[in-house]
Amino acid sequence: MTTLLASPSLIGDLVINGLLIGGLYAIVAMGLNLQYGMLRILNIAHGEFLMIGAFITYTLKVATGANPLWFLPLSAIAMFAFGLLLHATVFRRLSAISASLDIMEEKSLIVGFGLLFILQNAAVLIWGSDLHGYDFMTETVRFGGVTFTANRLLVLALAVLVSGGLIAALRLTLIGKAIRAMVQAPLGAMLVGVNTGTLHPFCFAVGLALAGLAGSLLSMIYLISPDMGTPYLITALIVITLGGLGSLTGSMAGGIILGLVETFGVYFFDPSLKISLSYAVFVLVLLFRPRGLFAR
Amino acid sequence: MPYPMIALDDLAVRFGGVAALSGVTFTAGASEFIGVIGPNGAGKTTLFNVISGMVSPSAGAFRIDGVDLIGQRAHVFNRVGIARTFQTARVFRNLSVRENVEFGLRLPGRRGGRARHLRTEADDLLDRLGLRPQAGLTAGSLPPTRQRLIEIGMALATNPRVLLLDEVAAGLTQGEAKTMASLIRDLRSERDMCVIWIEHNVEVLMRTVERVLVLHHGEVLADGPPARITKDPVVIDAYLGETAVD
Amino acid sequence: MRRTGWILCAAIIACLAALPWFGSNFTISLALSITMYAGLALSWAMFSGTTGYIALSSSAFFGVGAYACAILLESWPWPIVILGGALTAALLALLLGLCVLHLRGTYFAILTFGISELLKNLVGYVEKSQFGTVGRMMLGVPSLSVIYWTVLGLAVAAAIIYWAVARSDFGAALRAIGSDEDRAATLGLNVRNTKIAAFCLSAIIPGSLGAAVAVRWTYIDPQIVFNPFIVFQTVLVATIGGASRLAGPVLGAVVFGLLEELLRLHFAHYYLILLGILLILSVLYVPNGLASLIPSRRPQLLHRAGGKHALPNDRS
Repeated sequence: MTTLLASPSLIGDLVINGLLIGGLYAIVAMGLNLQYGMLRILNIAHGEFLMIGAFITYTLKVATGANPLWFLPLSAIAMFAFGLLLHATVFRRLSAISASLDIMEEKSLIVGFGLLFILQNAAVLIWGSDLHGYDFMTETVRFGGVTFTANRLLVLALAVLVSGGLIAALRLTLIGKAIRAMVQAPLGAMLVGVNTGTLHPFCFAVGLALAGLAGSLLSMIYLISPDMGTPYLITALIVITLGGLGSLTGSMAGGIILGLVETFGVYFFDPSLKISLSYAVFVLVLLFRPRGLFAR
Repeated sequence: MPYPMIALDDLAVRFGGVAALSGVTFTAGASEFIGVIGPNGAGKTTLFNVISGMVSPSAGAFRIDGVDLIGQRAHVFNRVGIARTFQTARVFRNLSVRENVEFGLRLPGRRGGRARHLRTEADDLLDRLGLRPQAGLTAGSLPPTRQRLIEIGMALATNPRVLLLDEVAAGLTQGEAKTMASLIRDLRSERDMCVIWIEHNVEVLMRTVERVLVLHHGEVLADGPPARITKDPVVIDAYLGETAVD
Repeated sequence: MRRTGWILCAAIIACLAALPWFGSNFTISLALSITMYAGLALSWAMFSGTTGYIALSSSAFFGVGAYACAILLESWPWPIVILGGALTAALLALLLGLCVLHLRGTYFAILTFGISELLKNLVGYVEKSQFGTVGRMMLGVPSLSVIYWTVLGLAVAAAIIYWAVARSDFGAALRAIGSDEDRAATLGLNVRNTKIAAFCLSAIIPGSLGAAVAVRWTYIDPQIVFNPFIVFQTVLVATIGGASRLAGPVLGAVVFGLLEELLRLHFAHYYLILLGILLILSVLYVPNGLASLIPSRRPQLLHRAGGKHALPNDRS
């Protein structure tokens, strides 16, 4: 256990890392939250879509040598399309054959579980089970006496941009308002003319795209592997619980909090205990504030 | 002096800014037959939710048979003797009618000793409610009016001392409603229970119960024998209107 | 079941028990796999098939059973080792259940899935800091026949538990929880305690199986032992075979045990992808499993076709 007397440069480093990882958690959680709020499906394979997004970016970068920033939108669009396909082939039939919402949740759990295995093993087949990575913007930057790698600062900025942009889009655009209406009051929204036939697949696909985007961003700063997805699924669930189911601003705040808690915790304890720490946070929140930290 | 079966004292239930119940003071004895009427939103179902332990009161005192149950989980309320039906019939939809009615009988300590066979007891209950021919059918496949009978069976299987019935005559013809009322009256005297019955079919209710509680805007508007209630100008004004029972 | 049914079952079990005397090691291994999956799937179906709480914790129960074995094997006799696995898993189920069983189904599923991951890291941390190494050697391993008989016995036990629960008042309570748990509470059922008890019961066989099967690995570490494939195979077998009848998981175990043997060695990852696809297809097109395709006069022993809550949106 390291001493608590840390230098400002260390604190700064931890804060930046915490915000960074928290911002990424926020994006992943918001994607999951959007799918849940709209379709009542908590996609257990969500982490795998993050992994696929990371690998798409990695493969394109290694193949073309171009700046991976070009591949961010590509990866997001690919995952969006994949989401539409999945919804049309699998999830739409699921809601058709389920007698109630609970049954649909159960069935989509098992289906998601199947997807998880398909995607993970497909990734191992294509890329092998080792760690992969590429270098991108690894030069260091000095900022107020603290040293950072440029790629981390960039990813942090992008993470903040994406999550902030998403929240803004939900508040300001027409489709965003339709989504919020559907999440808060499904019957009322439908009465007013909001169309679930298009919104459901759209939200599902956006959720996947967000996971893929987070994966792409991750590939710029960390090593990736086919089994990287599951921990992010768990973390996304914890973030959603912290922030409140259905609240995207809550997910953003929850993500940042969890990111900071983890980063500081891991530094002062042990990296292997990262998940234990997250679970501990989770259990505590569930015991004392089950509706989320920000519920009124 | 025995405790009243149910004793509510200045009870309030608030959801957010809305007061579903306020200042409700009400006692019920062990064998009373009480009807509850009032317009929609008056707080009738909320009252049932409090008495059956599904909702905790925000203020006030509340005792069942002298015991303070505030904060306890719902099953404790049933163990103490409260059983209820729901406005929209809540049966175990995917289980058979027989299994629905058997459920209460299968919980520990429910059957009178090992001597009584489960099937016999369930059969008796099904016969009593006229459900025996449909015993093997899936509960969810029956029409809502039959499902209400199943619900009564489910409640009776738990051997309650207080039976809360929520609009069990809804959707019935006047003739069917009278049959239902007779059934309830007979069940009550057979089992010596306290029965509290929320109903919109005021005519049938008034002819059957011994005492009427009138709720309005979450408060008790009136409480007394049917004869007095039907003539009460405040009640007529608020709820009964021109459809006052003679 | 009628008398002929009982006799048939007894005969099959007798044949299986006699296998070590006339079968090759390969046949015994295959039978071991099949009976193991049957045991895992029956335990899973007993809980998740009735209550509708999809538990993805089989890997965790199996893994802690394996660790109990590794710790106890050197100094304790075999029955105690197995019992240790059972009790450790039941204890884990108790702790886990207390923490997450009050949550709605999806949370429960994801968190039980993650517990494997958590244990993998936690056990690894403890092993490294307390003992220096991450893995353990298995010393004093019993013969294949003993392991096989143990697994067979555990699978039979799982079947008996499934059958007994299905006919009992306890099973009726679990089915009611699966149908509408809040309604069950208003009728006097202590839902929380019932769920936790059932969850613990469902952990006993997987924990015992973990202890019994781990010895075949001779060396274990958290990575090997907390493997999500175990829970995947369990859910697969139970779902495709059908969780509602005793024959379901047994049938599923036979089909997938054989399939695995045929494909695993040469087509490992393709095999897993195929399984994933089969699982999805099964949920979409054969929701009650293969066993439901067999006509039966008896009503189903455990059934979950309904839904936990009467009204879709009345819970938040």
